[in-house]
Amino acid sequence: MLNKHRLLIWDLPTRLFHWLLVASFTTAWISFDDNRYLDVHVYAGYLFFSLLVFRLIWGAVGSRHARFRAFACDWPSVWAYLRGLLNGQAARHLGHNPAGAWAIFAMLALGLAVSLAGILTLAGEEGHGPLRGLIPYAVGSAAKDAHELLAWSLLVLTLVHVSGVIVESVFHKNNLIWAMITGYKETTSPAGGVSKHGVVAVVMLSVACIFTAMYFRGYLTQTPDKPYVPFQGPPLPDNPTWRTECGDCHLAFYPVLLPARSWRKLMAEQGDHFGEDLSLDAATVAEITGFLAANAAESGLTEAAHKMNDSLSAGHTPLRITEMPYWRRKHAEIDAAYWQDKKIGGKNHCSACHLDAAQGTFEDSAMRLPPLSKN
Amino acid sequence: MNNKRGWPALIGLSLCTAVAQAAVVDDMLVGYKAAGAAGFDAARGEQLWHKTFPDPEAAGKTRGCGTCHTDNLKERGKHASTGKVIEPLAPSVNKERLTDPKFIEKWFTRNCKWVLGRACTPQEKGDVLSFLRKQ
Repeated sequence: MLNKHRLLIWDLPTRLFHWLLVASFTTAWISFDDNRYLDVHVYAGYLFFSLLVFRLIWGAVGSRHARFRAFACDWPSVWAYLRGLLNGQAARHLGHNPAGAWAIFAMLALGLAVSLAGILTLAGEEGHGPLRGLIPYAVGSAAKDAHELLAWSLLVLTLVHVSGVIVESVFHKNNLIWAMITGYKETTSPAGGVSKHGVVAVVMLSVACIFTAMYFRGYLTQTPDKPYVPFQGPPLPDNPTWRTECGDCHLAFYPVLLPARSWRKLMAEQGDHFGEDLSLDAATVAEITGFLAANAAESGLTEAAHKMNDSLSAGHTPLRITEMPYWRRKHAEIDAAYWQDKKIGGKNHCSACHLDAAQGTFEDSAMRLPPLSKN
Repeated sequence: MNNKRGWPALIGLSLCTAVAQAAVVDDMLVGYKAAGAAGFDAARGEQLWHKTFPDPEAAGKTRGCGTCHTDNLKERGKHASTGKVIEPLAPSVNKERLTDPKFIEKWFTRNCKWVLGRACTPQEKGDVLSFLRKQ
């Protein structure tokens, strides 16, 4: 029986990277479905991407087992390792085994691709993030499909990675998950240990904490009267006559919510505006119509503009926003109790749930379903 | 208003709005008279304010000023179809009321049509205005 040695294989930054990456990937998956949590999803994405960039650097300058050059990843080694698994003679590796090394390269590459597609989606569809203003909506829309496909691929690859870890752990009676937590592995050779690199880990953790605090600081300073709205972009075009005249009786519904032909029809019929004669003079009608038509759904000013416009068939000229197919689809799951609630007061009260309805931006993360009134 | 000199300014300002209000209403009454109205009567204005008219869109229902403004002019009202909150109409609680002739005329035009189904006469407008300014 040879002497056993307990060696530090994974330095602290590598382990921190691994588990923060797990946390950010999980957060991104949990938060993607409900648009209201887009800010959380984007936060998770930024963290995920930054970690990957760190890992690329650490793969060049980090400690021995974290370096990509130390990965035994040439094809004969992978083949020998996989065959060895089948006949029970796979060699044990202190760092990553050859198959694991491949999985890691693939996950890094896919992770970077997911991040890039996410940033393109954020810029093209939502008009936010580092590339805002540079990416057309159609590119953002295509990037979203790619983002989803890549995210699923990465999830599958992650499951392969976890299965590999379990197989290897059982095969070599060596708990790899625990080793990624503590950093230590037991080995028969006294050589091959690495140092902790605690300072790098502290810097990493500090940067992550500061970034998190900066990102979510709006939630700490919000008040019930002034709730925090993430993703506030530049203001949309405005017109005082439109805002006053329409806003006198109801929310001045932002023009992107209907196509220009609907606005023209509504304004032409202002003598019978849902049962009311608005009696606006010709100059006022012309000014408001001009503003509405210029910033209507076709303008593509916002994500909602594109979605509204794409959802409408050519022959259809709805006079109510609630008749727009996109509006209906997005509100199909809202319980009837909300529309009847006295705090909300009907489908025309956008601002009861959309914090930025008056500005017209209708950001994903500005939605808050208020608690229902107690009867 | 965190210093003592603020108070005279505030009092001065409300005096100014009160004076402006009186001038605006007086001017409008002169205009209505020129358009054919006789003397104005706040009590007649109050009657018209509380009077109800049949709702052309719902049999059995009625419309009146109070449908949206409520019967208490010092309270907030609510737009009958959109539900938008309407600030109180009484100048004693809402200093912005009766200060803009264009605004007053616009709402007389729109709301007379909705409530009475026709334009109000200069006499009716003057009576209602005489009633409102005392609230």
